[in-house]
Amino acid sequence: MTEQSIVHDTFVIERAFAKPPATVFAALADPAKKQRWYGAGHNNMLTFKMDFRPGGAETATYRMGDDTPFPGAELAHEGRLLDIVPNKRVVIASTMALAGHRMSASLYSFELVPTANGTALIFTHQGAFFENADGPQMRKGGWNALLDQLAKDVVAA
Amino acid sequence: MGKIDIGRVFHALGDPTRRAIVDRLSAAPSSVSRLAEPLDITVTAVAQHLAVLEQCGLVKTQKVGRVRTCRIESAGFDALSGWIAEHRTLWERRLDALGEVLDDD
Repeated sequence: MTEQSIVHDTFVIERAFAKPPATVFAALADPAKKQRWYGAGHNNMLTFKMDFRPGGAETATYRMGDDTPFPGAELAHEGRLLDIVPNKRVVIASTMALAGHRMSASLYSFELVPTANGTALIFTHQGAFFENADGPQMRKGGWNALLDQLAKDVVAA
Repeated sequence: MGKIDIGRVFHALGDPTRRAIVDRLSAAPSSVSRLAEPLDITVTAVAQHLAVLEQCGLVKTQKVGRVRTCRIESAGFDALSGWIAEHRTLWERRLDALGEVLDDD
């Protein structure tokens, strides 16, 4: 049997914040605010730009750290804002490329639900991960693990 | 104290009596004998548990005169929270950071 060239994965993370939806929405909408938290997952964010309107572009670049399999390689996120409903939701589609090789396409949905104490954020990540035909079986689990593996596949390609 | 072995930290906290000791010491430092009383175990048993906790940097004991006093040590807890932070997914870390950004508002 031939191996699939795309592995699909969906995960949901929910968070409760003791702030009204408008405050949480501002952290998704304001490029300076978004960069502060969005860049926190990576040590080496080089650039971040976001044109916050439906159809607007969102781009980010990162330098892979010395503790990764590809020290110095550039990771590029190229996205587009698909839908914005103030204080309610933001939907973004994007691709991720390592050293010019596209390795995944994702849909990120941020939903804001008002609660008695503030806001519930429901983040849904739907990903299509491109795999090298003879690449190793991808690990299930964390986004980090998946990304590491994809990166290995890309370089082996 | 050198590099903390995270495996030892997990092993140390895997035991309910040792977690009870950590609970007590989080409230206030204590002598070994006073630590033993409410736990209903011998001083010798407490000393053995303390040795395990001390080896992985969760507890520090110090002998002053004839009394051995124990207190919480931060090194083991730092190693533990560092390990957890590293093993959270990228998006969980991002949303942690979002929470911090919101707290600053």
